[in-house]
Parts: sequence; C-alpha cells; structure tokens
Amino acid sequence: MTTELPYAADAEVSLGYDDLEVLRRQYEKELAQAHVTVQTKFNYSWGLVKSPMREHQVEGVRLLQELYRSEPTRRRECLYYLALGHYKMANYDEARRFNALLLEKEPTNLQAQSLLQLIDKAVTREGYIGMALAGGVAAIGTLVVAGLLRRATRK
Amino acid sequence: MGPSAKPRSSQDSRHNARPEPLVTTAAPESASAPSKLELVQKVIMAPFNHKKNDSTRILSDLAPVIMTPRMINSATVSSRPRGSVGGSSFSSAKVDFASIGRAPHRLGLGTRRITSRDLQIVEATDELLEAEVPEPDGVASSVSLLRGFNATIPSSDTGRTRRRQMRSVETPRLGLKKLGMNARGLLAEDEDHEGQSIASEEDMVLVPRAENGKKKPKKRGRESLSASKTLGKEELSRQKKEILRDRENLHVRRSLINSEIVEITHKIEALDAIRAKLELDLLKLQEEELELEDELEGVKERIDFEQTTLRQPKQPSQPLHLPHSSRRRKGPAFLPSEHDELPPGVAFMTLEGHSTPLTALDFSEPYGTLVTASQEDAQPRVWDLFSGTEIGRLRGHTGTVKCIQVEDHVCLTGSEDGCVRLWDLRRVEEDDGWGDGEMVSLSDVAEEDEQETETTSSKSGIRNGSDNGVERNELCARVLEGHTQAVTALYFEDECLVTGASDKTLRQWDLTTGQCVMTMDILWAMSHPPPVVTPGFALPNHLMPNAGHFSVPTPAYSDGSWELYQDFVGGVQFWGYGLVSGSGDGAVRMWDMRTGQAHRTLLGHTAPVTCLQFDEIHIASGSLDKTLRIWDVRTGGTFETIKYDHPVTALQFDSRKIVAAVGENGVKIYNRTSMQHSTLLTNGHTKPVERLRYMDRYLVSGGRDSMVKIWSL
Repeated sequence: MTTELPYAADAEVSLGYDDLEVLRRQYEKELAQAHVTVQTKFNYSWGLVKSPMREHQVEGVRLLQELYRSEPTRRRECLYYLALGHYKMANYDEARRFNALLLEKEPTNLQAQSLLQLIDKAVTREGYIGMALAGGVAAIGTLVVAGLLRRATRK
Repeated sequence: MGPSAKPRSSQDSRHNARPEPLVTTAAPESASAPSKLELVQKVIMAPFNHKKNDSTRILSDLAPVIMTPRMINSATVSSRPRGSVGGSSFSSAKVDFASIGRAPHRLGLGTRRITSRDLQIVEATDELLEAEVPEPDGVASSVSLLRGFNATIPSSDTGRTRRRQMRSVETPRLGLKKLGMNARGLLAEDEDHEGQSIASEEDMVLVPRAENGKKKPKKRGRESLSASKTLGKEELSRQKKEILRDRENLHVRRSLINSEIVEITHKIEALDAIRAKLELDLLKLQEEELELEDELEGVKERIDFEQTTLRQPKQPSQPLHLPHSSRRRKGPAFLPSEHDELPPGVAFMTLEGHSTPLTALDFSEPYGTLVTASQEDAQPRVWDLFSGTEIGRLRGHTGTVKCIQVEDHVCLTGSEDGCVRLWDLRRVEEDDGWGDGEMVSLSDVAEEDEQETETTSSKSGIRNGSDNGVERNELCARVLEGHTQAVTALYFEDECLVTGASDKTLRQWDLTTGQCVMTMDILWAMSHPPPVVTPGFALPNHLMPNAGHFSVPTPAYSDGSWELYQDFVGGVQFWGYGLVSGSGDGAVRMWDMRTGQAHRTLLGHTAPVTCLQFDEIHIASGSLDKTLRIWDVRTGGTFETIKYDHPVTALQFDSRKIVAAVGENGVKIYNRTSMQHSTLLTNGHTKPVERLRYMDRYLVSGGRDSMVKIWSL
C-alpha cells in the first residue's frame, strides 16, 4: 500500500490568510492545553509549508520534524512532507535524501517519483542559472577588458 | 571569496554591461594620465595588474561616490576567478553545476536570510534519516495526514456554507444530524430574511414597484425549495457530491478523534504506571530513612558502649555476657559489604544436616554463628554462617531442644528435659578438636566462674556443666534446672533470664548466680484474672480442661501435615520489669517482674499462642488460630489482625515489617509502611517454614523439610 500523498504542485498552492490563521489558532490552543493532536500539528505545519513566506516554510518543516520524531507510525508520510518542504525551500540535498528514503520504502509511490523528477529539474535549472551567471560575468569581463585593451593600444 | 563579495561582483558586472559605450566619453579624462599608467605598466610587468588597474580606475570614474576603491578592487579581482571557475567546471558533472549555481541563485532571490532555524532544520536531517521508519499502523494506516488535513481545514466547510446560501429551506432528504444543523442554519437565515423584509417594507413605501421583487426572497424563506426556484440538475448533483464528500470527511474526523482518544488513554495508563512506580519509590525512600535512623541509633549506642568499656576495664566476674543485648531490638549489626549486592528475597545459602523438622534456631549476627535444633535430637548444631559449615554440636541435653537464644558467644538452650543450658560458643571448635591444649586455653575468668558456681550449686540446685560427668565438655558453662516439664520458651538480656515451660510456670533466673529468682504460675494467673488479687491458695483446675498435660493438635499446614502442639508457653520477652508471655490458653499476659503478678491479659486469640515479640509500642503475637495480632502496649487493644491460611508458628517484627512463618513453604513478610504482603519463595523451603530469625537484611529460617535457609532481605 502506498501512502496517500499530495503532489508537489499542491504545496505551491498557498492557503488563505484566514485559513492559516485558523490552523495556527487551533495549534496554539492545543499547545496551551499541553496536548497537541497529531492532526492539528500536521494541519498547521502543512499550511505553513504551503505558504510562500520562507519563515513560514522553515517553521512548517520544523514542526514536521517534531512530528517525525514523536510519531513513528506517521514517519513514512512525514518523509514526503519533509522532502516537499525542503524542496520548497530550495534545500535540494535534504529534499533528495528524504525522498530517497521514502522511495526506498515505497518504490512505486507516484508522488515521490514525481517529486524526485522535480528536484532533479530544479537542481539542473539552478546549475544552468549559475552557469549562465558565471558565463555572463566572464563574457562581460572579457568584453570590458578587451575594450580597455583596445583603447589602451589605440593610444 | 566569501559570499559577501559575490553580490558586488554581480552588481559590477551589471554596471559594466551598461556603461560600455560610456568608456569613450570617459576617455578624455583618462587620457590625461596615460604616462602614469604606462609607468606602472612598465614597473609591474604582469598584464593582469595592468588590466586591473585600468578597469578599477574606470569604475571609480563611473561611480566615484558609490564605490570606494577598495570595494572596486575586490570586485574586479573576484570577477576573474569566478569566470575561470565556471569555465573549468563546464565539463564536469551536474552536481558541480549545482554547487556553483546555487549561490548566485540564492542571491537572485535577494533578501533571503539564512537564519539559525534554517540551519537547525537542515542539521536535523541526518538524525531524522537515521531514525527507523516503521510500517504505519492503526489510524496512521487508515487515515492519511492529507485526508485528515482536507477533512479538518476550515475550507472543508465551504461546500456546506455555499449550499446553505443557495437554499433557504432544508429538504427532508437530509439526515437527522444535518436536519438539526440546518435547523440552526434556517433560524439564522430567517433572521436575515427578517432584516430583508424590514428593508423591503421601507422600499415598499418609497418604491411600490420594487415591492414584488423584494418580497420574493421573504416568501421563498417560508416556502419549500422546489416551489420557489429550480437549481438545475447540474447544481443538485454537485451538491449531492459535496454532501457525500462532507459525510466522508466527517467519518475521517471521527476516526481521527477516536484514535486520539485511544492514544490519550494509553498515555494516561502509562502515566498511571509511572505514578504508581514513583509512589513505590517514595515508600522505599521512607523505609530507607527509617533504616538509616535505626543505624544511627545503633552507632550511637555503640559509641556509648565503647566509651564505657574504655572507662571501666572489663569486669572479670562477667565474662560471658556482653552488656548490649538490646541489639535484637534495634539491631546495630554491620554486614559484610557483599551482602548489599545480593538480590533481595533470595535464599543464598542452604544448610543441610538435620534429619527432622527444625524446632529452634538463633544466630549471633549476620555471617556469625548459628545454633539450630531439630525434633528428636538432643544435640543442637553450631554453624559458621560465613562458610556455611557445621562447626560443632552442643552435647548435654537429654531431650529435644525447644528454644534457643544466642547473644554474641553466649547461647542458651531450653529442652524437653526441663533444663536450660548455657553454652560458651567460643569453645565449640576447641570442643570438637578434643585436643590436649584445651585445658590450657581455658581462661582464668572461666575457672573463676566455675568456682563461684560450685559454691552456689549446693543451695540452688544449679550445677556446673562439669558436674554432669562430662569432664572435658567445658562448652556447657552452666545448667539451670527447676522446671518439671519441657522448657518451651526463653528470653534473656544481660544477666536476667526468663523461661516458660509446659509445667505452666514462668521462671526468672539470675545468670550470674544461676539462681531461680522468681516463679510465676500461669495457672494461678488464669484463675485469678486481674485486677482480682487474692494470693495465698491454689484454685482447683477446673478451668483448664487439660490441666495436667497440655496437648492440642495443630491445624493442618499447607502440605496437610499436623502435629501435637505441647508447648504451653509459646513465647516470652521482657523489657525492664515488664514481662509478656503468650501461652496455650490463647492469652497474652503482661507481668510485673517486681511483684510476679500478671497485671493485664490480652484476649483475642482462640488457640494457643506460639510466638511473641514486643517493642515500645506494640506486641505482636502469632497463634495456631491462623492469625497474627498486633496489640497496643498502652491500651491493650488490638491494633491490627492479620489473617493467614495456616497456623502461625514464628514471627519477628520491627517498625517496618513483620516476618512470619505461617505453615507455608514461603516466608511471609508484611510491610508495615506500605501494608503490602510478600512471600519469600525463591530457592526456599520445600515444606512449611516453622522457625525464623532475622537481623537487618539477614534472615535465617528453618522448615519442616529439615533445611535451614539463609536469606537476603
């Protein structure tokens, strides 16, 4: 049985402010009562991960990690959400490791497979951007130098 | 280069890119100092340097205010290695792209800060990945987190709210629960419509034409759904789907809550267990504290004792008796340290040698000397508890030994032959050796004692052991004769001895002289219950059915066996002038040893009392009626009654526990602090235990299986 998971695209759809606020209030209420249910904690952390703000994402991943530690039966699911969270934060190494562990347990998991592809794509894109930037800098540098040299020799 | 330099380099490159055409306009300015440049170029031959200086100057010309020369310097320097690194990694793997690519990408996002939390979650990765990932079970396998999320987030209610908004009256096809919900919804909407109707009335006044239109919703509020408006098949089927989904969500939420309840129940159970354990720990601490108090008292006593002995050198007339015989009450005995490592409640030593059930036993101190006696055996055995070997026998009695008390090296035994013998256990080994040096090793003190006894023996009828004809047996220091029947109980402290016998009398002896100081007649006391004091004549013994010879069958032990119980006095003990005895009539009597009168009788047992002990507060007595009673010394009332399944044959207690032999294979321990019963069985007796004695955590028990077991408590 593969675990029921959302696709990575779902993580990009952020919750409304009110929804997240409701989840946060629920979580904090239970925190004050010293008993946070798993679902509440997950709801809040997932809401945070979906948020476009990096602070929220970090907090969301932190809560997911807490869940992962305290709920062994939920670990498998959490693996995916952790991978997703790290992916959203562009921590591709971590995302890849979590995802790999999940794929090891559930090789047929479609969501995990697609996440792996996404991670790979993102990593290559980053690489190209980096390369492009570096290349651009080099090109401009050479142009400038060449121009200067030309000017210097013209004199 | 640190990341701090990188943003500037990208900035610079952008600067550079744009002002390329400006270079020419700037040329006149720079042309004013070509000679200087050339000079530098000549001095420093490196072309790099030349370029660098050149570009630096141009940059500073372009943005002299924004950029300090140092910044520009670093920027231009960093731009070159950047390019070269990029070039070199062109051919390398994707991973390398990532490593060089990531930094600029991050910079591209601009204001991203790497906070400590970021680091924290990244650092936790390894630890988390190492943790085991078990198969999900329970609710984790049936309801995924995502299902739970979708079922519980606020937006899961949107469908319902939308439907509610679309219709004003609920249709009867909904479930009971929803009907209730919708009833509430209906009310709310009614209010809305009320507001609307007021508004419409106003409208009606102002614009009569609008009345029709405005009235519609009000009407619809009161009418059924179908009557007012058709929603269309598509909308209805959509609503149906939504409702079905909502119902499923409810199911999910229910199972989530159920699983939480189960989990909390587990947690409560776990916490309860922890609390119970902590409470037990607390009790243990309490007991330890009591133990420490006892130990402290023992040490203090010892200090006093050692000080007094230092001040007064040992008196030669009392060689056999140590002054501190209250040890049995308070127990300042010091155990070998290995004893602490022994598991508690386990018999760690078994002494085999007897062939008949044990009748009496006592020992000097933990790992000291033990004396045991068994049925139909007139020779009690002496054991070395450290090695667990028999080191000798006490020869002299002519009948079964019924009671033993050992204090240090002094041992007293009472036998069925009516005699009490006093033994010096120091001579056991010499005695066994039968060596020639025996006479030489006799202390002067002993001889002195001997002479003294001989002078008194003629008038008191107490003879020295040597008078019995066993010349060489100096082991038996004295024989006390006087009882006409079996001596069944004895207790001595310092120089004072009290014995109880089946002749239904108690006798008090002076051990220094060997004389019987007083005789207390239990029969007489029975017929003259206090406070009636009419001494002078003996009563007819009609109160005692079996006055001549006392004998009752014991109730069956746990293995079905029984005996004829003939020990009229089950136990005696005194403290100061107060004496307590337990006898065959089931009474516990308190005597005054100054007058020889029983001043109080504690009635409650319905069968002979077999054993007895008291301390400052309580008297504990065990009886064949299968009960153990704790009496209050001051009021004489029963403080506690502990019922067992079989007759109680021996007991000993202290402030914390009562240890008893109750006709079962296991030794019973009643914890007086926690009120809990426990049984010592591990490696224990195979037949009922009959006798026991303990000191501190060291217990010796004797059973009907003829075995002696040593326990660690």
